[in-house]
Amino acid sequence: MPAVSVRHLAKSYGEVEAVRDVSFEVEQGEIFALLGPNGAGKTTTVEILEGFRDRSGGDVETLGVDPATRATQRWLRTRIGVVLQELAVEPYYSVRQVLSRNAGYYPTPRPVEEVIEMIGLKEKADDRVKRLSGGQQRRLDVGLGVIGNPLLLFLDEPTTGLDPSGRRDSWDLIRRLAAGGTTVLLTTHYMDEVEALADRVAVLSHGEIVASGTPTSIGGRDSGAVTIRFMLPKGATEPDVPVAVTSIDNGLVQIVTDDELRVLHTLTGWALDHDHVLIGLAVVRVTLEDIYLKLTREALDDDETSGR
Amino acid sequence: MSTDASTPTKGAFNGINDVKLVARQVRYEQLSFWLNPIGAFFTLGFSTIFLVMLSAIAGNTKIGAGYGSVKLVQYYLGSFVSYGVMAACFTVLAQTLVNRREMGLLKRLRLSPVPTWALLSAILLSTLVIAILQMVILLAVGRLGFGDYLPTHAVAFILTVVVGMLSFTGLGIGVSTLVPNADAAGPIISIVFFLLLAFSGLWFPIQPGTTLANVSAYFPVRHLITAVLASFNLPGGAQPWAWGDLEVMAIWGVVGLFIAARRWQWSPRRG
Repeated sequence: MPAVSVRHLAKSYGEVEAVRDVSFEVEQGEIFALLGPNGAGKTTTVEILEGFRDRSGGDVETLGVDPATRATQRWLRTRIGVVLQELAVEPYYSVRQVLSRNAGYYPTPRPVEEVIEMIGLKEKADDRVKRLSGGQQRRLDVGLGVIGNPLLLFLDEPTTGLDPSGRRDSWDLIRRLAAGGTTVLLTTHYMDEVEALADRVAVLSHGEIVASGTPTSIGGRDSGAVTIRFMLPKGATEPDVPVAVTSIDNGLVQIVTDDELRVLHTLTGWALDHDHVLIGLAVVRVTLEDIYLKLTREALDDDETSGR
Repeated sequence: MSTDASTPTKGAFNGINDVKLVARQVRYEQLSFWLNPIGAFFTLGFSTIFLVMLSAIAGNTKIGAGYGSVKLVQYYLGSFVSYGVMAACFTVLAQTLVNRREMGLLKRLRLSPVPTWALLSAILLSTLVIAILQMVILLAVGRLGFGDYLPTHAVAFILTVVVGMLSFTGLGIGVSTLVPNADAAGPIISIVFFLLLAFSGLWFPIQPGTTLANVSAYFPVRHLITAVLASFNLPGGAQPWAWGDLEVMAIWGVVGLFIAARRWQWSPRRG
Protein backbone atom coordinates (compact mmCIF):
# COMPACT_ATOMS: atom_id res chain seq x y z
CA MET A 1 0.00 0.00 0.00
CA PRO A 2 1.39 3.43 -0.86
CA ALA A 3 1.77 5.93 2.01
CA VAL A 4 -0.15 8.51 0.02
CA SER A 5 -2.43 8.04 -2.93
CA VAL A 6 -4.04 10.95 -4.76
CA ARG A 7 -6.37 10.53 -7.74
CA HIS A 8 -7.93 13.38 -9.68
CA LEU A 9 -7.73 15.71 -6.70
CA ALA A 10 -9.47 19.05 -7.18
CA LYS A 11 -9.90 22.04 -4.91
CA SER A 12 -11.61 25.32 -5.70
CA TYR A 13 -12.01 28.44 -3.65
CA GLY A 14 -15.10 29.96 -5.17
CA GLU A 15 -14.21 30.59 -8.80
CA VAL A 16 -10.52 29.91 -8.34
CA GLU A 17 -9.32 26.38 -9.03
CA ALA A 18 -6.30 26.01 -6.76
CA VAL A 19 -5.75 22.34 -7.63
CA ARG A 20 -6.98 20.61 -10.81
CA ASP A 21 -6.92 16.90 -11.51
CA VAL A 22 -3.79 16.12 -9.51
CA SER A 23 -2.80 12.46 -9.22
CA PHE A 24 0.29 10.91 -7.67
CA GLU A 25 1.40 8.24 -5.24
CA VAL A 26 4.04 8.27 -2.57
CA GLU A 27 5.57 4.90 -1.73
CA GLN A 28 6.43 3.96 1.82
CA GLY A 29 9.93 4.98 2.80
CA GLU A 30 10.59 7.36 -0.07
CA ILE A 31 11.21 11.10 -0.15
CA PHE A 32 8.72 12.62 -2.54
CA ALA A 33 8.89 16.29 -3.54
CA LEU A 34 6.17 18.56 -4.84
CA LEU A 35 8.07 21.24 -6.72
CA GLY A 36 6.47 24.43 -7.93
CA PRO A 37 6.40 28.21 -7.69
CA ASN A 38 4.43 30.05 -5.02
CA GLY A 39 0.72 29.72 -5.60
CA ALA A 40 1.04 26.49 -7.59
CA GLY A 41 -1.17 24.60 -5.16
CA LYS A 42 1.51 22.73 -3.19
CA THR A 43 0.38 23.76 0.28
CA THR A 44 -3.28 23.25 -0.57
CA THR A 45 -2.52 19.71 -1.74
CA VAL A 46 -0.55 18.91 1.38
CA GLU A 47 -3.21 20.41 3.65
CA ILE A 48 -5.82 18.16 2.05
CA LEU A 49 -3.59 15.13 2.61
CA GLU A 50 -3.15 16.10 6.27
CA GLY A 51 -6.89 16.41 6.74
CA PHE A 52 -6.55 20.12 7.49
CA ARG A 53 -8.56 21.19 4.47
CA ASP A 54 -11.49 19.63 2.63
CA ARG A 55 -11.24 18.83 -1.07
CA SER A 56 -13.72 19.64 -3.82
CA GLY A 57 -13.24 16.41 -5.76
CA GLY A 58 -11.16 13.32 -6.34
CA ASP A 59 -9.97 10.51 -4.08
CA VAL A 60 -7.29 10.78 -1.45
CA GLU A 61 -5.82 8.27 0.94
CA THR A 62 -3.22 9.02 3.57
CA LEU A 63 -1.82 5.91 5.28
CA GLY A 64 -4.78 4.01 3.96
CA VAL A 65 -7.52 6.26 5.30
CA ASP A 66 -9.41 9.19 3.83
CA PRO A 67 -8.00 12.22 5.68
CA ALA A 68 -11.39 13.93 5.52
CA THR A 69 -13.11 11.17 7.51
CA ARG A 70 -13.71 12.51 11.01
CA ALA A 71 -13.80 9.12 12.70
CA THR A 72 -10.21 8.29 11.77
CA GLN A 73 -8.75 11.79 11.86
CA ARG A 74 -7.39 11.56 15.36
CA TRP A 75 -5.76 8.24 14.66
CA LEU A 76 -4.26 9.67 11.48
CA ARG A 77 -2.83 12.58 13.44
CA THR A 78 -0.97 10.19 15.71
CA ARG A 79 0.74 8.67 12.67
CA ILE A 80 1.68 11.78 10.70
CA GLY A 81 4.12 14.55 11.50
CA VAL A 82 3.86 18.05 10.15
CA VAL A 83 6.44 20.78 9.68
CA LEU A 84 4.96 24.05 8.44
CA GLN A 85 6.42 26.92 6.47
CA GLU A 86 6.37 28.99 9.64
CA LEU A 87 8.84 28.23 12.39
CA ALA A 88 6.12 27.06 14.74
CA VAL A 89 8.05 26.93 18.00
CA GLU A 90 7.16 28.81 21.17
CA PRO A 91 9.98 31.17 22.11
CA TYR A 92 10.00 30.89 25.89
CA TYR A 93 10.21 27.16 26.52
CA SER A 94 13.52 25.36 26.54
CA VAL A 95 14.21 22.86 23.77
CA ARG A 96 13.62 19.96 26.16
CA GLN A 97 10.41 21.45 27.58
CA VAL A 98 8.74 21.98 24.24
CA LEU A 99 9.71 18.51 22.99
CA SER A 100 8.46 16.90 26.22
CA ARG A 101 5.20 18.78 25.98
CA ASN A 102 4.51 17.62 22.43
CA ALA A 103 5.66 14.06 23.15
CA GLY A 104 2.75 13.86 25.57
CA TYR A 105 0.27 14.38 22.75
CA TYR A 106 1.13 11.04 21.13
CA PRO A 107 0.49 7.45 22.18
CA THR A 108 3.92 6.16 21.13
CA PRO A 109 6.33 9.09 20.99
CA ARG A 110 10.05 8.90 20.31
CA PRO A 111 12.12 9.40 23.46
CA VAL A 112 12.79 13.13 23.95
CA GLU A 113 16.52 12.64 24.47
CA GLU A 114 16.77 10.62 21.27
CA VAL A 115 15.14 13.44 19.30
CA ILE A 116 17.39 16.05 20.93
CA GLU A 117 20.39 14.01 19.83
CA MET A 118 18.99 13.47 16.34
CA ILE A 119 18.45 17.19 15.74
CA GLY A 120 21.90 17.97 17.09
CA LEU A 121 20.77 20.20 19.94
CA LYS A 122 22.23 18.28 22.86
CA GLU A 123 24.29 21.23 24.06
CA LYS A 124 21.29 23.53 23.68
CA ALA A 125 18.68 21.27 25.27
CA ASP A 126 18.12 23.60 28.22
CA ASP A 127 18.37 26.85 26.27
CA ARG A 128 15.33 28.92 25.50
CA VAL A 129 14.04 28.43 21.98
CA LYS A 130 14.40 32.15 21.23
CA ARG A 131 18.17 31.92 21.82
CA LEU A 132 18.62 29.39 19.01
CA SER A 133 19.77 30.34 15.53
CA GLY A 134 17.34 30.11 12.61
CA GLY A 135 18.82 26.80 11.50
CA GLN A 136 18.65 25.37 15.02
CA GLN A 137 15.03 26.50 15.39
CA ARG A 138 14.22 24.80 12.11
CA ARG A 139 15.82 21.59 13.31
CA LEU A 140 13.79 21.78 16.51
CA ASP A 141 10.75 22.37 14.33
CA VAL A 142 11.53 19.16 12.43
CA GLY A 143 12.14 17.46 15.79
CA LEU A 144 8.62 18.48 16.84
CA GLY A 145 7.38 17.05 13.56
CA VAL A 146 8.82 13.63 14.34
CA ILE A 147 8.41 13.50 18.14
CA GLY A 148 5.25 11.43 17.71
CA ASN A 149 7.21 8.81 15.74
CA PRO A 150 5.22 9.33 12.54
CA LEU A 151 5.06 6.93 9.61
CA LEU A 152 4.68 9.90 7.28
CA LEU A 153 6.21 13.35 7.61
CA PHE A 154 4.94 16.40 5.73
CA LEU A 155 7.51 19.13 5.24
CA ASP A 156 6.17 22.38 3.79
CA GLU A 157 9.11 24.34 2.40
CA PRO A 158 11.44 23.15 5.13
CA THR A 159 14.43 25.33 4.27
CA THR A 160 12.88 28.59 3.09
CA GLY A 161 14.71 31.43 4.78
CA LEU A 162 17.64 29.38 6.07
CA ASP A 163 21.28 30.17 5.41
CA PRO A 164 23.34 27.63 3.42
CA SER A 165 24.68 25.78 6.45
CA GLY A 166 21.24 25.71 8.04
CA ARG A 167 19.84 24.19 4.86
CA ARG A 168 22.56 21.58 4.70
CA ASP A 169 21.94 20.57 8.33
CA SER A 170 18.21 20.29 7.64
CA TRP A 171 18.86 18.16 4.57
CA ASP A 172 21.08 15.81 6.57
CA LEU A 173 18.38 15.48 9.19
CA ILE A 174 15.69 14.74 6.60
CA ARG A 175 17.91 12.13 4.93
CA ARG A 176 18.53 10.42 8.26
CA LEU A 177 14.81 10.35 9.00
CA ALA A 178 14.10 8.80 5.62
CA ALA A 179 16.89 6.28 6.12
CA GLY A 180 15.15 5.31 9.36
CA GLY A 181 12.03 4.40 7.40
CA THR A 182 9.94 7.58 7.67
CA THR A 183 8.14 8.45 4.45
CA VAL A 184 8.65 12.13 3.60
CA LEU A 185 6.46 14.33 1.45
CA LEU A 186 8.03 17.72 1.00
CA THR A 187 7.07 20.83 -0.90
CA THR A 188 9.68 23.23 -2.15
CA HIS A 189 10.45 25.82 -4.78
CA TYR A 190 14.16 25.04 -4.71
CA MET A 191 15.58 22.85 -7.45
CA ASP A 192 18.72 22.05 -5.49
CA GLU A 193 16.59 20.80 -2.61
CA VAL A 194 14.86 18.36 -4.91
CA GLU A 195 18.19 17.17 -6.30
CA ALA A 196 19.67 16.80 -2.83
CA LEU A 197 16.76 14.95 -1.24
CA ALA A 198 14.02 13.60 -3.42
CA ASP A 199 13.68 10.07 -4.75
CA ARG A 200 10.84 11.27 -6.95
CA VAL A 201 9.41 14.64 -7.82
CA ALA A 202 6.22 16.05 -9.30
CA VAL A 203 6.26 19.55 -10.74
CA LEU A 204 3.14 21.50 -9.93
CA SER A 205 2.18 24.63 -11.84
CA HIS A 206 -1.11 26.47 -11.60
CA GLY A 207 -2.75 23.62 -9.77
CA GLU A 208 -1.70 20.92 -12.24
CA ILE A 209 1.11 18.40 -12.38
CA VAL A 210 3.13 19.24 -15.48
CA ALA A 211 5.82 16.59 -15.06
CA SER A 212 6.89 13.86 -12.70
CA GLY A 213 9.69 11.36 -12.35
CA THR A 214 13.07 11.09 -10.69
CA PRO A 215 15.10 14.31 -10.38
CA THR A 216 17.64 12.96 -12.90
CA SER A 217 15.13 11.92 -15.54
CA ILE A 218 12.40 14.52 -15.26
CA GLY A 219 11.50 16.47 -18.37
CA GLY A 220 13.69 14.22 -20.59
CA ARG A 221 16.73 15.43 -18.73
CA ASP A 222 18.67 12.17 -18.94
CA SER A 223 18.41 11.95 -22.72
CA GLY A 224 18.63 15.65 -23.52
CA ALA A 225 21.16 17.45 -25.64
CA VAL A 226 24.12 19.34 -24.21
CA THR A 227 25.47 22.73 -25.15
CA ILE A 228 29.20 23.12 -25.86
CA ARG A 229 30.52 26.66 -25.52
CA PHE A 230 33.83 28.38 -26.18
CA MET A 231 35.20 31.67 -27.45
CA LEU A 232 36.12 31.65 -31.16
CA PRO A 233 39.96 31.56 -31.18
CA LYS A 234 41.96 34.48 -32.55
CA GLY A 235 42.62 34.14 -36.27
CA ALA A 236 39.75 31.68 -36.80
CA THR A 237 36.38 32.43 -38.38
CA GLU A 238 33.10 30.59 -38.08
CA PRO A 239 33.55 28.47 -41.23
CA ASP A 240 36.90 27.22 -39.80
CA VAL A 241 35.12 25.45 -36.94
CA PRO A 242 34.95 21.77 -37.95
CA VAL A 243 31.50 21.07 -36.51
CA ALA A 244 28.04 22.57 -37.05
CA VAL A 245 27.73 25.79 -35.05
CA THR A 246 24.33 26.48 -33.57
CA SER A 247 24.93 30.12 -32.79
CA ILE A 248 27.70 32.65 -32.46
CA ASP A 249 27.36 35.83 -30.50
CA ASN A 250 30.23 38.27 -29.82
CA GLY A 251 32.67 35.47 -30.45
CA LEU A 252 30.91 33.03 -28.11
CA VAL A 253 30.27 29.85 -30.06
CA GLN A 254 27.44 27.57 -29.00
CA ILE A 255 27.01 24.06 -30.31
CA VAL A 256 23.96 22.06 -29.28
CA THR A 257 24.46 18.34 -29.77
CA ASP A 258 23.48 14.97 -28.38
CA ASP A 259 26.82 13.51 -29.50
CA GLU A 260 29.05 15.45 -27.16
CA LEU A 261 31.96 13.02 -27.12
CA ARG A 262 32.51 13.00 -30.87
CA VAL A 263 31.99 16.74 -31.23
CA LEU A 264 34.46 17.47 -28.44
CA HIS A 265 37.01 15.12 -29.97
CA THR A 266 36.77 16.84 -33.35
CA LEU A 267 36.92 20.28 -31.75
CA THR A 268 39.90 19.67 -29.51
CA GLY A 269 41.78 17.89 -32.34
CA TRP A 270 41.22 20.91 -34.58
CA ALA A 271 42.37 23.30 -31.85
CA LEU A 272 45.57 21.33 -31.16
CA ASP A 273 46.41 21.06 -34.87
CA HIS A 274 46.07 24.83 -35.30
CA ASP A 275 47.50 25.86 -31.93
CA HIS A 276 44.16 27.44 -30.99
CA VAL A 277 43.20 28.07 -27.41
CA LEU A 278 39.52 27.41 -26.71
CA ILE A 279 38.91 29.97 -24.00
CA GLY A 280 35.94 29.22 -21.71
CA LEU A 281 35.38 25.74 -23.13
CA ALA A 282 32.40 24.25 -21.29
CA VAL A 283 29.89 21.45 -21.66
CA VAL A 284 26.57 22.51 -20.20
CA ARG A 285 23.94 19.92 -19.45
CA VAL A 286 20.40 21.15 -19.12
CA THR A 287 19.78 21.76 -15.41
CA LEU A 288 16.75 20.86 -13.37
CA GLU A 289 16.22 24.58 -13.13
CA ASP A 290 16.03 24.90 -16.94
CA ILE A 291 13.49 22.09 -17.07
CA TYR A 292 11.51 23.56 -14.24
CA LEU A 293 11.43 27.05 -15.76
CA LYS A 294 10.48 25.60 -19.13
CA LEU A 295 7.71 23.46 -17.67
CA THR A 296 6.20 26.15 -15.48
CA ARG A 297 6.46 28.70 -18.31
CA GLU A 298 4.75 26.35 -20.76
CA ALA A 299 1.92 25.89 -18.31
CA LEU A 300 1.66 29.65 -17.98
CA ASP A 301 1.55 30.12 -21.77
CA ASP A 302 -1.14 27.45 -22.07
CA ASP A 303 -3.14 29.28 -19.44
CA GLU A 304 -2.83 32.54 -21.26
CA THR A 305 -3.79 31.15 -24.65
CA SER A 306 -6.79 29.42 -23.13
CA GLY A 307 -7.80 32.83 -21.83
CA ARG A 308 -7.59 32.17 -18.10
CA MET B 1 -1.90 -1.31 5.97
CA SER B 2 1.34 -1.90 7.73
CA THR B 3 1.02 -4.47 10.46
CA ASP B 4 3.95 -3.37 12.56
CA ALA B 5 3.39 -3.63 16.30
CA SER B 6 3.47 0.10 16.95
CA THR B 7 0.49 0.63 14.66
CA PRO B 8 -2.75 0.42 16.59
CA THR B 9 -5.97 -0.67 14.95
CA LYS B 10 -6.59 1.76 12.16
CA GLY B 11 -8.92 4.51 13.26
CA ALA B 12 -8.69 3.83 16.98
CA PHE B 13 -7.00 6.40 19.17
CA ASN B 14 -5.36 5.10 22.29
CA GLY B 15 -3.34 7.89 23.81
CA ILE B 16 -3.57 9.38 27.28
CA ASN B 17 -7.04 10.27 28.45
CA ASP B 18 -8.39 13.66 27.55
CA VAL B 19 -8.90 15.05 31.06
CA LYS B 20 -5.26 14.35 31.87
CA LEU B 21 -4.32 15.89 28.56
CA VAL B 22 -6.14 19.13 29.42
CA ALA B 23 -4.58 19.26 32.88
CA ARG B 24 -1.16 18.73 31.38
CA GLN B 25 -1.76 21.36 28.73
CA VAL B 26 -2.90 23.89 31.37
CA ARG B 27 0.38 23.29 33.19
CA TYR B 28 2.34 24.03 30.03
CA GLU B 29 0.21 27.11 29.32
CA GLN B 30 1.07 28.39 32.78
CA LEU B 31 4.73 27.60 32.24
CA SER B 32 4.66 29.51 28.97
CA PHE B 33 3.06 32.52 30.68
CA TRP B 34 5.51 32.65 33.57
CA LEU B 35 8.56 32.00 31.39
CA ASN B 36 7.90 35.35 29.74
CA PRO B 37 8.57 37.69 32.66
CA ILE B 38 7.77 40.85 30.72
CA GLY B 39 4.39 39.49 29.70
CA ALA B 40 3.67 38.36 33.23
CA PHE B 41 4.69 41.76 34.59
CA PHE B 42 2.52 43.72 32.20
CA THR B 43 -0.46 41.62 33.14
CA LEU B 44 -0.17 41.20 36.87
CA GLY B 45 2.28 43.93 37.79
CA PHE B 46 0.69 46.83 35.96
CA SER B 47 -2.70 46.70 37.61
CA THR B 48 -1.12 46.38 41.03
CA ILE B 49 1.22 49.32 40.46
CA PHE B 50 -1.64 51.48 39.14
CA LEU B 51 -3.80 50.57 42.09
CA VAL B 52 -1.04 51.43 44.57
CA MET B 53 -0.19 54.73 42.84
CA LEU B 54 -3.74 55.97 42.46
CA SER B 55 -4.73 54.88 45.93
CA ALA B 56 -1.69 56.63 47.39
CA ILE B 57 -2.53 59.84 45.54
CA ALA B 58 -6.21 59.65 46.44
CA GLY B 59 -5.49 59.31 50.16
CA ASN B 60 -8.64 60.08 52.09
CA THR B 61 -10.46 61.90 49.28
CA LYS B 62 -14.16 61.11 49.17
CA ILE B 63 -15.93 60.62 45.88
CA GLY B 64 -19.06 62.53 46.74
CA ALA B 65 -22.07 63.24 44.55
CA GLY B 66 -23.82 60.05 43.39
CA TYR B 67 -21.52 57.82 45.37
CA GLY B 68 -22.11 59.32 48.82
CA SER B 69 -19.30 59.58 51.30
CA VAL B 70 -17.17 56.74 50.00
CA LYS B 71 -13.39 56.89 49.82
CA LEU B 72 -11.88 57.10 46.35
CA VAL B 73 -9.44 54.29 47.23
CA GLN B 74 -12.40 51.97 47.66
CA TYR B 75 -13.63 52.90 44.20
CA TYR B 76 -10.22 52.17 42.71
CA LEU B 77 -10.16 48.70 44.21
CA GLY B 78 -13.39 47.92 42.37
CA SER B 79 -12.34 49.50 39.10
CA PHE B 80 -8.97 47.75 39.09
CA VAL B 81 -10.51 44.38 39.73
CA SER B 82 -12.34 45.05 36.47
CA TYR B 83 -9.08 46.07 34.84
CA GLY B 84 -7.52 42.81 35.99
CA VAL B 85 -10.32 40.71 34.55
CA MET B 86 -10.10 42.52 31.26
CA ALA B 87 -6.30 42.42 31.12
CA ALA B 88 -6.12 38.66 31.53
CA CYS B 89 -9.21 37.57 29.64
CA PHE B 90 -9.25 40.12 26.87
CA THR B 91 -5.82 41.62 26.27
CA VAL B 92 -3.54 38.69 27.06
CA LEU B 93 -5.85 36.12 25.51
CA ALA B 94 -6.40 38.02 22.26
CA GLN B 95 -2.71 38.79 21.96
CA THR B 96 -1.75 35.17 22.62
CA LEU B 97 -4.21 33.84 20.09
CA VAL B 98 -3.07 36.22 17.34
CA ASN B 99 0.60 35.48 17.99
CA ARG B 100 0.07 31.74 18.01
CA ARG B 101 -2.05 31.82 14.91
CA GLU B 102 0.51 33.87 12.99
CA MET B 103 3.44 31.73 14.15
CA GLY B 104 1.66 28.62 12.90
CA LEU B 105 1.33 27.23 16.44
CA LEU B 106 -2.44 26.92 16.23
CA LYS B 107 -2.20 25.07 12.95
CA ARG B 108 0.45 22.72 14.27
CA LEU B 109 -1.63 21.91 17.35
CA ARG B 110 -4.67 21.46 15.17
CA LEU B 111 -2.71 18.82 13.25
CA SER B 112 -1.59 17.04 16.43
CA PRO B 113 -3.78 14.36 18.01
CA VAL B 114 -4.89 16.84 20.71
CA PRO B 115 -8.63 17.39 20.23
CA THR B 116 -9.58 20.99 19.50
CA TRP B 117 -11.84 21.27 22.52
CA ALA B 118 -9.04 20.13 24.83
CA LEU B 119 -6.64 22.62 23.34
CA LEU B 120 -9.05 25.55 23.64
CA SER B 121 -10.22 24.60 27.14
CA ALA B 122 -6.64 24.51 28.31
CA ILE B 123 -6.02 28.02 26.99
CA LEU B 124 -9.21 29.31 28.64
CA LEU B 125 -8.60 27.57 31.96
CA SER B 126 -5.09 28.94 32.05
CA THR B 127 -6.44 32.43 31.35
CA LEU B 128 -8.92 32.08 34.21
CA VAL B 129 -6.16 30.97 36.58
CA ILE B 130 -4.27 34.16 35.78
CA ALA B 131 -7.38 36.33 36.12
CA ILE B 132 -8.20 34.83 39.52
CA LEU B 133 -4.65 35.22 40.74
CA GLN B 134 -4.69 38.82 39.59
CA MET B 135 -7.86 39.46 41.54
CA VAL B 136 -6.55 37.90 44.72
CA ILE B 137 -3.45 40.10 44.52
CA LEU B 138 -5.51 43.26 43.98
CA LEU B 139 -7.91 42.49 46.82
CA ALA B 140 -4.98 41.74 49.12
CA VAL B 141 -3.17 44.96 48.20
CA GLY B 142 -6.32 47.03 48.66
CA ARG B 143 -7.19 45.43 51.96
CA LEU B 144 -3.73 45.32 53.52
CA GLY B 145 -2.22 48.39 51.93
CA PHE B 146 -5.07 50.85 52.04
CA GLY B 147 -7.55 49.42 54.52
CA ASP B 148 -10.21 48.94 51.83
CA TYR B 149 -13.05 46.67 52.75
CA LEU B 150 -13.61 43.55 50.68
CA PRO B 151 -16.79 42.91 48.67
CA THR B 152 -19.73 42.99 51.05
CA HIS B 153 -21.62 40.44 49.00
CA ALA B 154 -19.14 37.72 48.20
CA VAL B 155 -21.53 35.67 46.08
CA ALA B 156 -22.60 38.68 44.01
CA PHE B 157 -18.93 39.56 43.59
CA ILE B 158 -17.95 36.08 42.43
CA LEU B 159 -20.88 35.89 40.05
CA THR B 160 -20.03 39.27 38.57
CA VAL B 161 -16.40 38.40 38.13
CA VAL B 162 -17.21 35.03 36.54
CA VAL B 163 -19.65 36.62 34.10
CA GLY B 164 -17.05 39.31 33.40
CA MET B 165 -14.35 36.74 32.72
CA LEU B 166 -16.53 34.74 30.37
CA SER B 167 -17.72 37.85 28.57
CA PHE B 168 -14.23 39.25 28.06
CA THR B 169 -12.94 35.84 27.08
CA GLY B 170 -15.60 35.75 24.34
CA LEU B 171 -14.61 39.26 23.29
CA GLY B 172 -10.91 38.41 23.43
CA ILE B 173 -11.39 35.44 21.11
CA GLY B 174 -13.63 37.53 18.84
CA VAL B 175 -11.15 40.41 18.60
CA SER B 176 -8.26 38.04 17.92
CA THR B 177 -10.03 36.97 14.73
CA LEU B 178 -10.30 40.61 13.61
CA VAL B 179 -6.60 41.39 14.00
CA PRO B 180 -4.87 40.78 10.65
CA ASN B 181 -1.31 40.08 11.84
CA ALA B 182 1.02 39.85 14.80
CA ASP B 183 2.44 43.35 14.34
CA ALA B 184 -0.99 44.90 14.52
CA ALA B 185 -2.03 42.87 17.55
CA GLY B 186 -0.29 44.94 20.24
CA PRO B 187 -1.47 48.38 19.11
CA ILE B 188 -5.04 47.38 18.18
CA ILE B 189 -5.72 45.38 21.32
CA SER B 190 -4.07 47.89 23.69
CA ILE B 191 -5.92 50.84 22.22
CA VAL B 192 -9.28 49.12 22.52
CA PHE B 193 -8.36 48.07 26.04
CA PHE B 194 -7.25 51.46 27.35
CA LEU B 195 -9.90 53.50 25.56
CA LEU B 196 -12.71 51.33 26.83
CA LEU B 197 -11.30 51.36 30.33
CA ALA B 198 -10.68 55.11 30.36
CA PHE B 199 -14.14 56.22 29.36
CA SER B 200 -15.77 53.50 31.43
CA GLY B 201 -14.47 54.97 34.68
CA LEU B 202 -11.22 53.19 35.47
CA TRP B 203 -9.31 56.33 36.46
CA PHE B 204 -12.12 58.43 37.93
CA PRO B 205 -15.68 57.80 39.03
CA ILE B 206 -18.20 58.60 36.33
CA GLN B 207 -21.26 60.33 37.69
CA PRO B 208 -24.49 58.64 36.65
CA GLY B 209 -26.57 60.57 34.13
CA THR B 210 -23.63 62.32 32.43
CA THR B 211 -23.01 61.96 28.69
CA LEU B 212 -19.95 59.83 29.40
CA ALA B 213 -22.01 57.51 31.56
CA ASN B 214 -24.64 57.21 28.85
CA VAL B 215 -22.16 56.51 26.07
CA SER B 216 -20.07 54.06 28.06
CA ALA B 217 -23.24 52.20 29.02
CA TYR B 218 -23.26 50.73 25.52
CA PHE B 219 -19.97 48.98 26.19
CA PRO B 220 -19.26 46.08 28.54
CA VAL B 221 -16.47 47.56 30.66
CA ARG B 222 -18.67 50.15 32.31
CA HIS B 223 -21.05 47.41 33.36
CA LEU B 224 -18.30 45.25 34.76
CA ILE B 225 -17.08 48.18 36.85
CA THR B 226 -20.54 49.12 38.13
CA ALA B 227 -21.42 45.49 38.84
CA VAL B 228 -18.19 44.98 40.78
CA LEU B 229 -18.75 48.23 42.68
CA ALA B 230 -22.31 47.13 43.47
CA SER B 231 -20.99 43.99 45.16
CA PHE B 232 -18.83 46.31 47.27
CA ASN B 233 -22.05 48.07 48.16
CA LEU B 234 -20.91 51.12 46.18
CA PRO B 235 -22.54 53.57 45.79
CA GLY B 236 -23.95 53.36 49.31
CA GLY B 237 -27.14 51.37 49.53
CA ALA B 238 -26.85 50.01 45.98
CA GLN B 239 -28.34 46.64 45.10
CA PRO B 240 -25.50 44.07 45.11
CA TRP B 241 -27.18 42.08 42.36
CA ALA B 242 -26.54 44.06 39.21
CA TRP B 243 -28.56 41.91 36.83
CA GLY B 244 -28.82 44.57 34.15
CA ASP B 245 -25.04 44.94 34.04
CA LEU B 246 -24.50 41.20 33.87
CA GLU B 247 -26.95 41.00 31.00
CA VAL B 248 -25.09 43.58 28.91
CA MET B 249 -21.79 41.79 29.56
CA ALA B 250 -23.29 38.47 28.57
CA ILE B 251 -24.60 39.94 25.33
CA TRP B 252 -21.14 41.31 24.49
CA GLY B 253 -19.56 37.96 25.25
CA VAL B 254 -21.98 36.24 22.90
CA VAL B 255 -21.25 38.84 20.21
CA GLY B 256 -17.53 38.08 20.61
CA LEU B 257 -18.11 34.35 20.26
CA PHE B 258 -20.35 34.91 17.27
CA ILE B 259 -17.61 36.86 15.49
CA ALA B 260 -15.09 34.19 16.46
CA ALA B 261 -17.28 31.39 15.12
CA ARG B 262 -17.55 33.15 11.79
CA ARG B 263 -13.99 34.26 11.39
CA TRP B 264 -11.88 31.76 13.31
CA GLN B 265 -8.88 30.53 11.39
CA TRP B 266 -6.14 28.09 12.37
CA SER B 267 -3.59 29.12 9.78
CA PRO B 268 -1.65 32.35 9.69
CA ARG B 269 -3.36 35.15 7.78
CA ARG B 270 -0.04 36.79 6.91
CA GLY B 271 -2.17 39.88 6.33
